[in-house]
Amino acid sequence: MSSQGGFGHSKEFLDLVKSIGETRSKAEEDRIVLREIDTLKSRLSSPNTPKYKLKEYLIRLIYVEMLGHDASFGYIHAVKMTHDESLLLKRTGYLAVTLFLNEDHDLIILIVNTIQKDLRSDNYLVVCAALNAVCRLINEETIPAVLPQVVELLGHQKEAVRKKAVMALHRFYQRAPGSVSHLISNFRKRLCDNDPGVMAATLCPLFDLITIDVNSFKDLVVSFVNILKQVAERRLPKSYDYHQMPAPFIQIKLMKILSLLGNGNKKSSEQMYTILGDTMRKCDSASNIGNAVLYECICCISSIHPNPKLLESAADTISKFLKSDNHNLKYLGIDALGRVIRISPDIAEQHQLAVIDCLEDPDDTLKRKTFDLLYKMTKSSNVEVVVDRMIDNMISINDRHYKTEIASRCVELAEQFAPSNQWFIQTMNKVFEHAGDLVNTKVAHNLMRLIAEGFGEDDDTVDSQLRSSAVESYLRIIGEPKLPSTFLQVICWVLGEYGTADGKYSASYITGKLCDAAEAHSTDDTVKAYAVTSLMKIYSFEMAAGRKVDMLPECQSLVEELLASHSTDLQQRAYELQAIIGLDARAVENIMPMDANCEDIEIDKKLSFLDAYAQDSLEKGAQPYIPEDERSGLSNISNFRTQDHESSTHALRFEAYELPKPSVPPKVPSVVSSSAELVPVPEPYYVAEVHQPAKSSPTVSSSGSSELKLRLDGVQKKWGRPFSSTTPSTSSSDTFESNNGTTRHESVSSTKSKVHDVSYDSRKQQPEVSSEKQKLAASLFGGASKSDRKLSHSGQKVLKTNNHGAHKDNLAKAASSSDIIKPRSQPPPDLLDLGEPTVTTSAPFVDPFKQLEDMSSSDRSATVANPPPNATIAHLTKQPSKGPNIEEFLEKDALVRQVGVTPSGTG
Amino acid sequence: MGIRFILMVNKQGQTRLAQYYEYLTLEERRALEGEIVRKCLARTEQQCSFVEHRNYKIVYRRYASLFFLVGVDNEENELAILEFIHLLVETMDRHFGNVCELDIMFHLEKAHFMLEEMVMNGCIVETSKANILSPIQLMDKAS
Repeated sequence: MSSQGGFGHSKEFLDLVKSIGETRSKAEEDRIVLREIDTLKSRLSSPNTPKYKLKEYLIRLIYVEMLGHDASFGYIHAVKMTHDESLLLKRTGYLAVTLFLNEDHDLIILIVNTIQKDLRSDNYLVVCAALNAVCRLINEETIPAVLPQVVELLGHQKEAVRKKAVMALHRFYQRAPGSVSHLISNFRKRLCDNDPGVMAATLCPLFDLITIDVNSFKDLVVSFVNILKQVAERRLPKSYDYHQMPAPFIQIKLMKILSLLGNGNKKSSEQMYTILGDTMRKCDSASNIGNAVLYECICCISSIHPNPKLLESAADTISKFLKSDNHNLKYLGIDALGRVIRISPDIAEQHQLAVIDCLEDPDDTLKRKTFDLLYKMTKSSNVEVVVDRMIDNMISINDRHYKTEIASRCVELAEQFAPSNQWFIQTMNKVFEHAGDLVNTKVAHNLMRLIAEGFGEDDDTVDSQLRSSAVESYLRIIGEPKLPSTFLQVICWVLGEYGTADGKYSASYITGKLCDAAEAHSTDDTVKAYAVTSLMKIYSFEMAAGRKVDMLPECQSLVEELLASHSTDLQQRAYELQAIIGLDARAVENIMPMDANCEDIEIDKKLSFLDAYAQDSLEKGAQPYIPEDERSGLSNISNFRTQDHESSTHALRFEAYELPKPSVPPKVPSVVSSSAELVPVPEPYYVAEVHQPAKSSPTVSSSGSSELKLRLDGVQKKWGRPFSSTTPSTSSSDTFESNNGTTRHESVSSTKSKVHDVSYDSRKQQPEVSSEKQKLAASLFGGASKSDRKLSHSGQKVLKTNNHGAHKDNLAKAASSSDIIKPRSQPPPDLLDLGEPTVTTSAPFVDPFKQLEDMSSSDRSATVANPPPNATIAHLTKQPSKGPNIEEFLEKDALVRQVGVTPSGTG
Repeated sequence: MGIRFILMVNKQGQTRLAQYYEYLTLEERRALEGEIVRKCLARTEQQCSFVEHRNYKIVYRRYASLFFLVGVDNEENELAILEFIHLLVETMDRHFGNVCELDIMFHLEKAHFMLEEMVMNGCIVETSKANILSPIQLMDKAS
């Protein structure tokens, strides 16, 4: 059939398509489409357009939208065409409508009626067209309008209609599960439909249903197994075959369902073992589709209750995948390895080199998948290598979505497996430096807490060493441009707390750095807030230590600037700083005690420290304080309170206040109580108020009784916490987050690995040579295979540094011991074909552990003529036999690509 | 949900067919198509036919000048989707006879009709070429 296809296409249409096909730039295409929009607007508005023309216009409208322009002016014509008698026009109308409108569009209401009519049609193709539209356009509200008809159509004599009716119900289930909850039994019935197409379609809704509720469908395991068996035995019509595989897409769907049903259910799983084994055996591993089914088998096997035999054949298939030259198969192999590794962790070892090859592959999809695998197999013995690699990778990628994911994985792994706090802090620094704005702020607070709390041990020197090293690294980093805001906050906080603690750096040096940071990030209020509070801490520590404080000129100007800041938070901090500097050393020491950030702040709710003062006032004739609950009987002002005394004083009241009665007995002024009635302020308020109670009380009481109004005096103080509560603590810095007008500028650090090298990383991996690869393999796979995950924080605290040292020794030993064995299997890929000789020469270097392993998997090694000393070599000997298969496969693939399509030029 | 969208795009990055199984606005579609095509065009023959993009996994296959791209979610079997693309091409081949880019352009609605038979609600529902093509052939006869 020629692509020109006369089929009533007008010359106009042919020209349009040709000109679109020939454009070489987006701008040119846009010009054509804009011209087309004008044409269509005028054509569609003229009456008496013949119908066959209208169909063409609709398709031209589809083009307009497909190429990214708005065609809403023509939607109504698509709606109209769904009313047409002719099947072709009707279906084109439905197609256009489903492409143009989403389910909540206003025009849908005009179509529902047509759909209802068409669902009753005698022509089953019309019914099918309407059901297609139902699947795209019916939303939750309109489901009831068509539901009865759709259910009726489940019993239609035409299988095509039944199939689409099942899918319509599936769609209803997706949109509003409740609307079809009483119809679930219909899906079970359709599973037994005579037509394989209807049965296959029913698997879709059943998959969704089983995903949500496995238990209600356990009884279907037998049915699914049976169906899979029949499919595998080629009982389905030949037309379902694809590349000599019987209905592979149905097989795959069935196995997806089985893996759900068998997950964590031994009894169900046992029913599947035979069929899964058979299916795997029957798969043609030389074709893509055969491998797709094999991969699905592995997914299923790794999801259901484990069966050693099946796992073994899964492992065999995985190694075939990994050894393939085809990247798609390698990708599946890595993914499958990640699934099986949960059940049999030692399977990874034999594939270590293949995995590392994938890790270093320039193909970023493969690389990414391999990082997924590493993430899954991280344990305390290899966490350092894995996270280092992940961070290096993170630095090199630009994709925000992926970067966020990998950063959070680094954090997660570091929190779970950190061998030492030192390492944890260094790792976190790196993550923050390169992806600081992408990680959760909670991570920053965790880091600050860790630095503050240290190891939680008695040994303070270790803690202070840790802090000193943190300070040192931060002083180096703080000057860098484009640091993420979260990281700067951490830096400022640590410098404020510990900058001068070890006496290595002078206060003026640290404060200078802090000022620079605040200045460099003048748009970031949160950073400025952290910086100014840190300044305050440093000055306080200086004063408490009895040294004279000389504020640097730049600090002075910073504080002055902040005093006039638009952010009330910053203003407040600046005022506090000023106030503290004016106090004497002893007071300052109490306000800002050195290194007290971990201590709980005790809040004296009774304000007992004011007792003496209150006593004094009482003796001078002041009114005694009457607790709130005892007040009601005393004062008429509180009358209305008795009506709803349930509501607590601090709750918001929504009803209008009663007008005060003028007859309030002035004899019971009860200063404190009345003011408490009017302005329920938290306790600290009184602390500020107490200064002149005697003078202010009469005015308050009189104004309070005559007219109720907001008291604004002293309000300013409400924002200021009393100074005594500003003791430094991590929790208080948490509150900084919520301040208004915070602008975070996204400074995703561009790939500056140089910066990160110089600053604090001496352990960075050198560019790999093949022996390096071996080492990497050893450190990734070789270590103790304990995969017990520790609880995040308790785990970290338990670890001690000396422990860490010993641990490193172990690691080194593990690495060196595997180094001894590895060189035998070292020959690079091009030598793989040597096979036999390698086996004999390497025989003396038998690793006892490997031998043990081989014994456990004796039947596998028995298939090879010479029992291989280790698994890596097993794969060398097997390699040659794989050769022809791959070639054959590649040839086929190339052939497939050739026969597919001829170039467009021929048209 | 499985399949989220199916695109056909030529070497120049021009869209030749687009079918979305979830609603995206015109701007979102435009941006998504641009990003994906740029990513896939940059890849070599040997590299995987799969690309992760945002929360999608894109499975793509190239036939002469035309790229077929299918966006799926995480549960899909990538290799099976790759073969699904080929099934689609084989089906179009059977109908058009050695299908090419211009066939799809001139018969856009028919390419869509085939997809409508094969994929519903983002699930593969029909894989028998005879079943996929029979309604289209019947319609051709009728008109």
